[in-house]
Amino acid sequence: MKNLNPKLSRRNLLLGTLQGTGLLLLSGCEKVFDGLSRNDKVQSLLELAEHGSRRAQRLLAGRNKLAQEFSVKDISPKFRSNGNPPPITMDYATDAKNQWTKWRLDVSGLVTQPASFSLTELKSMPSRTQITRHDCVEGWSVIGKWKGVRLEEIMNKVQPAAAAKYVVFRCMDTDSDGTNYFESIDLIDAVHPQTILAYELNDQPLPVDNGAPLRLRVETQLGYKHAKYIRALEFVANLEKLGQGKGGYWEDQGYEWYAGI
Amino acid sequence: MAENPVKAARQSSHWVYRHNRVTRLTHWSNALALMILFMSGLQIFNAHPHLYWGSTSEPEKAFFSISATNDDGDPRGYVELYGRQVDTTGFLGVQQGVFGPSARAFPSWLTVPGYYSLAAARRWHFFFGWLFALNGTLYIVYNLAVGHLRKFFFTFSDAKKVPAMLAYYLHLRKKSPQDSEYNPLQKMAYTSVFVILTPLVLLSGMAMSPQLDVAFNWLPAAFGGRQSARAFHFILAFGFLSFTFGHVVMVLTQGFVNNMRSMLSGWYKEKMPTIIEPPVKALPTETVIAEESKIAAEHAESQAQAPHSAVPDAKIQATPAPKTPDADLSTPEKQAEKNEEPKS
Repeated sequence: MKNLNPKLSRRNLLLGTLQGTGLLLLSGCEKVFDGLSRNDKVQSLLELAEHGSRRAQRLLAGRNKLAQEFSVKDISPKFRSNGNPPPITMDYATDAKNQWTKWRLDVSGLVTQPASFSLTELKSMPSRTQITRHDCVEGWSVIGKWKGVRLEEIMNKVQPAAAAKYVVFRCMDTDSDGTNYFESIDLIDAVHPQTILAYELNDQPLPVDNGAPLRLRVETQLGYKHAKYIRALEFVANLEKLGQGKGGYWEDQGYEWYAGI
Repeated sequence: MAENPVKAARQSSHWVYRHNRVTRLTHWSNALALMILFMSGLQIFNAHPHLYWGSTSEPEKAFFSISATNDDGDPRGYVELYGRQVDTTGFLGVQQGVFGPSARAFPSWLTVPGYYSLAAARRWHFFFGWLFALNGTLYIVYNLAVGHLRKFFFTFSDAKKVPAMLAYYLHLRKKSPQDSEYNPLQKMAYTSVFVILTPLVLLSGMAMSPQLDVAFNWLPAAFGGRQSARAFHFILAFGFLSFTFGHVVMVLTQGFVNNMRSMLSGWYKEKMPTIIEPPVKALPTETVIAEESKIAAEHAESQAQAPHSAVPDAKIQATPAPKTPDADLSTPEKQAEKNEEPKS
């Protein structure tokens, strides 16, 4: 067996070297990936996946397939809220106390008939009720029962121009720097049967924590697309002039505009 | 891939062209993809380091958590599984950093990127998710076409040989039941990665996508709900980690140079056929280059002195002569592949 010993030590040497390089690689790895994660060119390459996902997933889903709707017994005991704290302005607080008598939803931009709706007016329009699952980008899910007016109903009233490609949601909540929340979806998602402007959660008026008086439900996408505390809708042809040009508050922080994945 | 003049000698001394170009390419791009998928996945998990069964994530119902406490300014990290806690301060839950301890499920050196960014981790994850899926498709389609997959597809007859192979690895049995290029355990490992692990990890990942759940309402339900799919995805990722660990250990111990060479250049030195000849004839001949003659000499010696030694190389030597000496050279595809090689 003597002749085997040099081989074993050679193997040990090899293993030792590999182990060493492995550890070096691991600590180097962190720096490399941190650098690559902050490199714009690398990031725009990685963003190709977002476009691929959007095209492939939309192709599979079609336009009118519905998100799973659950039964009353599936509703979560508490509908978790996330994101910015509710708006803290006096106007918001007093209006909340007065059942939103002052609040109005302004609809403008590339539309033939700009309009403004009170909450009562929205509630008098045909409504849709759905028990759906809300999926946060962080990973958690809750199920809630929503009632609201379909966004397509609003579109039928204001008549978007042919050039309009997106609808932008202007919100009342701000982050700690005072930047207003905003979001956008394209007209494909806007006319989805389950895309609603919700004013009720679990048979109660929409709570302040969940976006009172009006929030978006867009069941094809993750939670951050579901703009809360909406004050206005704007129809636009592109997203470049909004915020930093990515189409939403979280998009400006690096999250994907297409959040169907 | 420069072919050298000794190729003829290699072939005559039982070199087999084991891995075609597509296999080698997809192997290494998969290695990269799996590493990035795993590490960016841990970063994504860090955004909500709890797992649940079912559709939703009711906080009190998490069966697995990596979390931290901070009683009296003493941050402790812990892992909790079905109510049982293990202190993991310094590794999981709480990490020691330059600025002192910080709460973090998986430490920065295990995640991509290292700094906390769910947005960046998602971009890495989805790009390499696509690469992984496309890679796998290319590999499967090509290798089904050339008949390469058949070589290590686990069959019923392999299943019967699993106990014998296990016994052989555990040194409880001297003869290996291996009768083809891949042994039954190898076939079982690879086949289970192809038909169980890979489809399930892709499907459970896809089940987390709201848009795909619209397309296929049954998809999250098939896993028991979206949160179950998320839990399965996490567990399956560790399935890949264990497979990779086992794979690397086997590569390191069962002839590292030979294995690496075969996955880089395609050429693998098949040792089984050499024992058809008496050991003396396995000694260096004029057709074998110096480096190889050294290896051959070692094999011959070890075989002569310790025919049933526990050393892996000798083990392979001790294998009885297979009925079909070299399946690789016997099939037309294999010959075609060999012919194709010099062009590369």
